[in-house]
Amino acid sequence: MSKWIVETNQLTKKLGGKAVVSDVNLRIKEGDIYGFLGPNGAGKTTTIRMLLGLAKPTYGHVHIFGHELARKRIEILRKVGSLVEYPSFYGHLTAYDNLEAVRRLLDVPRSRIDQVLEVVRLTKEARRAVKGYSLGMKQRLGIATALLGQPQLLVLDEPTNGLDPAGILEIRELIKRMPQEHGVTILVSSHLLSEIDQMANRVGIITKGKMIFQDETQVLRQQARSRIQLAVSEPEEAWRMLLAHGYHVDWDRQQLTAELTDDKAVATMVAALVQHEFAVYRVQEESASLEQIFLNMTGGEGSL
Amino acid sequence: MMRMFRSEWMKLRRTVIWALAVISPLLAGVTGFLSAGDYENGQEGVWQIALGIMGLLHAMLFLPLLTGVFAALLCRFEHTGGGWKQLLALPVSRSSVYAVKFIYIMLLLAITQLLFLAALLATGLLLGFAEPIPWRMLLVSALGGWLACLPLAALQLAVSVAWSSFAAPLAVNVIFTIPNILIINSAQYGPYYPWAQPLLAMVPRDEMGFGAFNLSPETLLGVILVSFVVFLLGGWGYFIRKAV
Ligand SMILES: Nc1ncnc2c1ncn2[C@@H]1O[C@H](COP(=O)(O)OP(=O)(O)OP(=O)(O)O)[C@@H](O)[C@H]1O
Ligand SMILES: [Mg+2]
Repeated sequence: MSKWIVETNQLTKKLGGKAVVSDVNLRIKEGDIYGFLGPNGAGKTTTIRMLLGLAKPTYGHVHIFGHELARKRIEILRKVGSLVEYPSFYGHLTAYDNLEAVRRLLDVPRSRIDQVLEVVRLTKEARRAVKGYSLGMKQRLGIATALLGQPQLLVLDEPTNGLDPAGILEIRELIKRMPQEHGVTILVSSHLLSEIDQMANRVGIITKGKMIFQDETQVLRQQARSRIQLAVSEPEEAWRMLLAHGYHVDWDRQQLTAELTDDKAVATMVAALVQHEFAVYRVQEESASLEQIFLNMTGGEGSL
Repeated sequence: MMRMFRSEWMKLRRTVIWALAVISPLLAGVTGFLSAGDYENGQEGVWQIALGIMGLLHAMLFLPLLTGVFAALLCRFEHTGGGWKQLLALPVSRSSVYAVKFIYIMLLLAITQLLFLAALLATGLLLGFAEPIPWRMLLVSALGGWLACLPLAALQLAVSVAWSSFAAPLAVNVIFTIPNILIINSAQYGPYYPWAQPLLAMVPRDEMGFGAFNLSPETLLGVILVSFVVFLLGGWGYFIRKAV
């Protein structure tokens, strides 16, 4: 068995002649909260539908729990809970009966229904027809349904869609707790980097169907560390001098930037400049936010 | 499969679908009762006449229409609430989902047929038909009508699964049901027309010795079974590949 819970190879989906998902190699390991990030229309939902066997890849393979999805779909899905795009429900039934209809297919004890209702705090409203629910309540019901079968892998496509700030916080805390308490692995998609940043330990960024980044969230954060921008007289000579003295500086013919952040290093660098009689006009910190990085990576069209 | 069946039951109970099964037999009962003048007392074959009168509207119009309505309603729950993607992402085989939907259509139609039979018996008993009840003929008629719905049910299920709209498959069904009135007169096309098959199978043939009614029961049954298999396989083949 491979160490990956979810592994896709060259996963590709063409719709109407256009590759909506192209050569995606997803890698999710046990206990991960994997943030699947991308602007609208990037192909997140399409990828997730292929992971759940709802749509067939044009080519490429999906392995979940080490088994090929195309061969062992039912065995795999027994251990997967999902919420795709918007929550599914039967409007004329109550939340309880909706869960019961799914429970009968999963063959779990009836007590699970009360448990999951408790988890998403719908217990009080459980006996009302779902068509009278607010969007946020439907979203909670969708999450409850995903949790019903005590899944080992949870696939949540934009789970905080339509929730108010309190609801978002609540769901986020719930997601963060799951791997520790129940050993669940989670794939959660979003177009909000800040949201993923707050819960995921690994991130995959997809745009226009292509995976452009996949690594620990830590690595993404490092790219956001700040740099020091220097405005000096004769910047090119200053750059040479600083390099000769062992400072890590960049000169792009317009701006001189240094990759240091601690106060002491900045102070000695400025002292060196002054000693060599460069006029120092400005020393300013330029901190690239995660959002900036995300926008740069996705070609600037990502919404935040 | 059994679990699928019980899950589907959760969605179906307490819906209008059950009321629909009652309407046509009720109307047939009223028709039969109002035609009291047509049955002279002591007349021979009075049950057969009653079956002809009551079965005409029921089998020509309501049975094909109801088949379409049942198919559309069973798919409607899934289309409107995004049920397909939830259902098919659960550990169930697509074949059993499709099979259970089909079985429910046929089950509802079976209830309709039983109620029709009950309406016919009630009419006869209330009007005091002198003849003993011809059980064999009545049961063959009801069963025949039910079997003749198989191809149409398979066809309508395929259409209802394919189109996410509720009205479109129904409209198609209505459009194809109306010409029944003409098509049953054609010995050539009648038996091959899925919307006409229930009537041909249900109404006693010597009652109406014209057009497609002269067909032998074996031929009709053969046509029905073959077209049923073709439509069912077609719909099933589409459904197991469908992207949701
Ligand atoms: N049936 C289809 N036929 C043609 N193109 C499609 C079809 N379904 C989706 N697409 C296209 O595929 C692309 C990816 O869609 P997808 O729903 O996977 O995006 P997403 O990343 O989930 O976006 P969002 O954040 O808006 O949910 C879009 O450009 C969309 O227009
Ligand atoms: Mg999406």
